[in-house]
Amino acid sequence: MEIEVTESGALAAISDGGQHVGRRAAVRVGAGVALGGAALSLLPFLSGHAAASATTEPASTAEATTTTAPPQRPTADDVALLSAAQQVEATAVALYNEALEVTGWSDQQALVVTFIRDAHLAYAQSLSGLLGREAPNSISQELFDARRDGFSGKVDAVLASAEALESTAVATHGDVIAKLLGTDGASLIASIQMNEARYCTVLADLAGETDPAVLLVDEEAASLMAKGE
Amino acid sequence: MMNDIALHDHTQQLDRRGLFRLGGLTAGALAIAACSNNTEAGTVGRVGQGGTTPSLEDPIVNDGVLLRTMAGVSTSIANAYEHILDGGFLAKASETMPDLGDQTELVTIFREHHIAAAESFNALAVEAGEKAWTCGNTRLDSAAIDPIFTRVEVGAPATDNSKEVGPSDDPTRDYINLVHSLESMSASSCQAMVPMLSQAAMRFTSMQIGVRSARQSALIALRILPGAYVAGVGESVTPDANATTTTIAADGAPPAATPIPLPVALPARFGLLSPSTFIGGAGDENGVRLKVNFETPSLNSLSYPFYTCP
Repeated sequence: MEIEVTESGALAAISDGGQHVGRRAAVRVGAGVALGGAALSLLPFLSGHAAASATTEPASTAEATTTTAPPQRPTADDVALLSAAQQVEATAVALYNEALEVTGWSDQQALVVTFIRDAHLAYAQSLSGLLGREAPNSISQELFDARRDGFSGKVDAVLASAEALESTAVATHGDVIAKLLGTDGASLIASIQMNEARYCTVLADLAGETDPAVLLVDEEAASLMAKGE
Repeated sequence: MMNDIALHDHTQQLDRRGLFRLGGLTAGALAIAACSNNTEAGTVGRVGQGGTTPSLEDPIVNDGVLLRTMAGVSTSIANAYEHILDGGFLAKASETMPDLGDQTELVTIFREHHIAAAESFNALAVEAGEKAWTCGNTRLDSAAIDPIFTRVEVGAPATDNSKEVGPSDDPTRDYINLVHSLESMSASSCQAMVPMLSQAAMRFTSMQIGVRSARQSALIALRILPGAYVAGVGESVTPDANATTTTIAADGAPPAATPIPLPVALPARFGLLSPSTFIGGAGDENGVRLKVNFETPSLNSLSYPFYTCP
């Protein structure tokens, strides 16, 4: 499937799903992040942290009531959280690029998967716009490596992996919202999370699922953000 | 000297000055007579100091107000679903959506979600120092939901400038579309709360509820129109984004009723805050159906502290 690339830089490389350059670029960016001391990422992605609870409990609101308006722009802590969120989105783009390499997609499935891939790219770009020069514009190599196999198998398996990834993103963004102070960042993450929730239902339906409990994701996946961090 | 003779003529004097005098006297007498016809004394003037002009209470918008407003919105949705389920509308066949099937079980699940959502919002509202709002949102009920029920089930009476409108030609279609509109509005409202609430923990809860509503919106869209995943992107293999459930009237036939747009599961790439439009009921003499926009809560629909449930 032809994919038009108009952006420049690392995100452009990630978004290039029609060629293997996208994968190489993703690995390159990941290595760069590792060598540079991945200071921008505060999220302990997967692997050793897979046992983390589904979602982080938000701080108590008992002491919360205040008339002080929250800040609009991201605070220093917000920047770290939003950077991590952007890495999740960039990684999703890279994973969906892998998925689109798989043969056997129906036209309808390819359309939906491409739509979702492009949406994740839009999310990464929006977060880049919000963060400016502080945006990492890179994938999480750890997350990419952990999920890559699931996005390169048969179509049904890829759809299941994609649904799980979306649910993970929903849980992670929920935890990010529970910590963000600035309203600009919270609003953007909320609009992203809202649609990623829909993707779970759509991907499950696309895979032929009929059980409402699955379609409505009664059991959300584990967040990538460790509890208490 | 003829003039002198005329001046002393009494008949001439009566015709001029006397006539004016008589006319004035007559009018004055009539006015007095009219006044004397009123036998009531009227209100006796009072002496003292009256109360001050009442002032409106300050419409404070804080976390508590927003949260109990959302509790009311969730309760309104749950009540609307209860009305639809009690009427058995979703179990009936739809002429315009023959493949819809019975969605009673699914909407029952939706209803339980909104009941739980109202409890969650109220718990946070109480934490924030406000009283719980245990009834539906009065503005949403009176301006949107109740008029839809009336138009679908009863129609609209004739007025001076319009003919009577009968009940809906397909209540099942209208109510399943209403479910989609309400779920979309619920998701949008929860998202809209994020920049308005001051505490991150409250935003988290609002989004947890909104995420579920978004999924319910997507699922009901797919039940209404299977395969309607996306709209307006590339060469869609899904049904036309502008597809409707209405056909054009033949020559000489009554005007075609307002088309009813069909929903899609992914209406955009980002979560929307725009109104969710409901179109339904029977068309009027010009074919115009009822159109209602469901919007996120704003100043005219908030549950201020000085409001109580009716």
